Amino acid sequence: MQRYFKTIRLFWSTAFASQLEYQLNFLIELLAMLGTLLGSVFILSLFFTGGRQLGDWTWESALVIQGVYTFLDGLTNALLRPNLTEIVNYVREGTLDYVLLKPIDSQFWLSVQKFSFAGLPEIILGLSIVFWAAIQSGSTFSIYSLLVFIISLLIGFIILYSVWFLIAASSIWFVKTWNATEVLRALLAAGRYPISAYPVILRFVFTLVLPVAFLTTFPAEAILGELKFNILFFGLILSSLFFIFSRLFWKFALKHYTSASS
Amino acid sequence: MHNNPSDLIVVDQLSKYYRVANKQPGFKGTLKHFFDRKTYDVPAVTDISFQISPGEVVGFLGANGAGKTTLLKMMCGLIHPSKGLVDVAGFSPQRRQTAFLKEITLVMGQKQQLIWDLPPMDSLYVNAAVYGLSDHEAKVRINELAEMLELGEELTRPVRKLSLGQRMKSEILAALLHKPSVLFLDEPTLGLDVNAQARVRSFLSEYNKRTGATILLTSHYMADITALCPRVICIHKGKLFYDGDLDSLANSLSPSREVKVELKNPCASEQFEKYGEIQDLNDRFVCLLVSRDKLTDVVSNLLTDFDIIDLEISDPPIDQLIGELFIKGEVN
Amino acid sequence: MRIFGLSFKVIKTLLTTQYAYMLEYRIEIALWALSGVLPFIMFSLWSQNDVGNSFGLNDIGLARYFLSAFLVRQFSVVWVVFSFEEDSLSGRLSPYLLQPLHPLLRYVAAHLAEQATRLPFAIAIAITFFILNPSSFWLPSLPQLFLAYLSTHFAFTIAFLLQSLVAALCFWTEKSSALERLIFVPYLFLSGLLVPLSAFPSNVLKIAMLTPFPYLINFPAKILSGMPVDIFNGFLAQLLWISILVPSVNLLWKLGVKRYTAMGA
Repeated sequence: MQRYFKTIRLFWSTAFASQLEYQLNFLIELLAMLGTLLGSVFILSLFFTGGRQLGDWTWESALVIQGVYTFLDGLTNALLRPNLTEIVNYVREGTLDYVLLKPIDSQFWLSVQKFSFAGLPEIILGLSIVFWAAIQSGSTFSIYSLLVFIISLLIGFIILYSVWFLIAASSIWFVKTWNATEVLRALLAAGRYPISAYPVILRFVFTLVLPVAFLTTFPAEAILGELKFNILFFGLILSSLFFIFSRLFWKFALKHYTSASS
Repeated sequence: MHNNPSDLIVVDQLSKYYRVANKQPGFKGTLKHFFDRKTYDVPAVTDISFQISPGEVVGFLGANGAGKTTLLKMMCGLIHPSKGLVDVAGFSPQRRQTAFLKEITLVMGQKQQLIWDLPPMDSLYVNAAVYGLSDHEAKVRINELAEMLELGEELTRPVRKLSLGQRMKSEILAALLHKPSVLFLDEPTLGLDVNAQARVRSFLSEYNKRTGATILLTSHYMADITALCPRVICIHKGKLFYDGDLDSLANSLSPSREVKVELKNPCASEQFEKYGEIQDLNDRFVCLLVSRDKLTDVVSNLLTDFDIIDLEISDPPIDQLIGELFIKGEVN
Repeated sequence: MRIFGLSFKVIKTLLTTQYAYMLEYRIEIALWALSGVLPFIMFSLWSQNDVGNSFGLNDIGLARYFLSAFLVRQFSVVWVVFSFEEDSLSGRLSPYLLQPLHPLLRYVAAHLAEQATRLPFAIAIAITFFILNPSSFWLPSLPQLFLAYLSTHFAFTIAFLLQSLVAALCFWTEKSSALERLIFVPYLFLSGLLVPLSAFPSNVLKIAMLTPFPYLINFPAKILSGMPVDIFNGFLAQLLWISILVPSVNLLWKLGVKRYTAMGA
């Protein structure tokens, strides 16, 4: 609906305006991001000492995964984290009521209201690394592989969004959610490394239980032209399931909110 | 239940209970609570029924925790009733249908919907978009309301830089942008200074006259109710105690009137005791509670027996009356 | 008898009420303990890819190190800057400043209480680890355990003081918790949480040892897991850092409170 697009445009332009008030934050985010990237690449290099490979990924292709991770981390910091913080604030201050009375879908409002521009450098840097490392490892890009790459990124993002929104919805019960986001952050950090580098049990967990594989490894395979179609197809189904579940859970959380709050 | 077609809002046998956990103090209690939580039901609202016609201004009066906010939120659809029925403008509020949401608005004292770091104007345009108002419509509406609320350049200053009173007025503007026909206000003057309170009240009264919007407000400030609401509903411990006009309530509650006297010379309290109940005695100022039937006699006696500079007769503060009402638990 | 100027009764009450508060959030505490899984993920990577040999650690050694790193982290994790910022923004700080109890000690009590609540979860996770890796089972000797406990406690102190420095900046800026990120990043990579520092190339290692971070995880974890480590110099370094940080925090705090009261918050 036109109303929804106009609303996004207004949300993000007001978010931009309010962020100009916090330039220091932006700088800190930038520094932290650069430091994290540097450190992660350093740790990654330790795996490759002595001419090794990591789970039959070369150094350059492993960097593609780091790039995808950085890109998604940037999206998390730009879109997912600020909105989750907002939701927690609403619940805590009792102003969630205002959102629920607006004639617009509450999950939509709560998911796109904030946009932190401090996440942009990470997004750009992540994508740059992806393409640079992919070229370094010798792949050529076709319309097909780019399309598959974009779709796989979308799959990864939808799964990521659904998990974050689940945590946000749980704030209706717990209010303090930074514990859950810390667990998530720790588990997702596993996505910095190729899935094949993990023991079989963890590979299973990271593909079906917490699909970290779909967040980073498979999009990397896509841009390297190695992603199998059946995995892509499976990813589409999985991400839809995650999204539907997040929506159902939100409805459930609202039901609780409306019968338990005062 | 009689369904009068002219009723805008119908509430019938509405009740709400909350489930609460019970924890004993001390370390043993903490451990027990950790392993085995006991819960019990707390009634917030019990069997309340009333009807409201379009264009009415109704005040819900009651002590803190009496259940007024819960009642109001059930009428908005923010809380689901445990029992009973709520109908607002033909809608069931808890379904939160878009058409319903466009007809109502909620303002909560001390709780903001405006974006903190930005001028109210930015939040207003977001709201306009959400409610489907065109930019032109929004502009017209904002000007109209800003004039009524006496807001000007405040709308272009960041919300965090506005005074509490200006913030509240901006909140009200934002809430009325979409021309709702029903206004729910929960403690709207909470925390405001006397002037700001008066301005909010006069605005609401004016708005009701101009637009015929139905206004429901909760408050524990009596002044809100006396200034705005011809009809008052008293809630105590979740139950409805009185539903009718304010004047009758005051009259039936108070067989007494307050007589305030300023004397030329201070006098001892014993000299006043035969005239009435002494509320306050301070140097040259005395405040007496005198029963209505004895009023004229007492006043003439006071004027003859004492050297009086000033004398004032008024109703005792309604707060006190209502307080007594709640203690007694019923209206005669 | 008084500790930090507090009577035993006050200490007991503080700790027990904080403990009760923590028990209210049982699920959260469990989640917190879970969020420490990073060392286990790293362990699975290192052992699966057989990298340990390149820096002199076999699978068993790696397993013991990472489990120790996990335990040390559980009992040294600090979040004072977040609580403090929240309290300062919501105005709770003012009444705290008026009480004869230094506000930072309030947070110390909260941290210690949470560590106590975490203990059962941490033990459960350790037991699970041993069930999955029976060959890596070991029980440290009593002196080892004591030294590990002591060094972990010092690690906690250093971490707490570092974050308190950042927290004190709350008196000047609203978003000091963002600055915590700048400390967290070097902590993550230089503390030994992701890999025993012996895996670092020597030039990087030299630079890392100049920072307090290796003493937050690497040093205590090595003691606990029985790896060779310079105990004397390690403790010396920890105490040195504490002796630098305590007066720094004190000073910054005093300056901050002065500014806070001058601003009429």
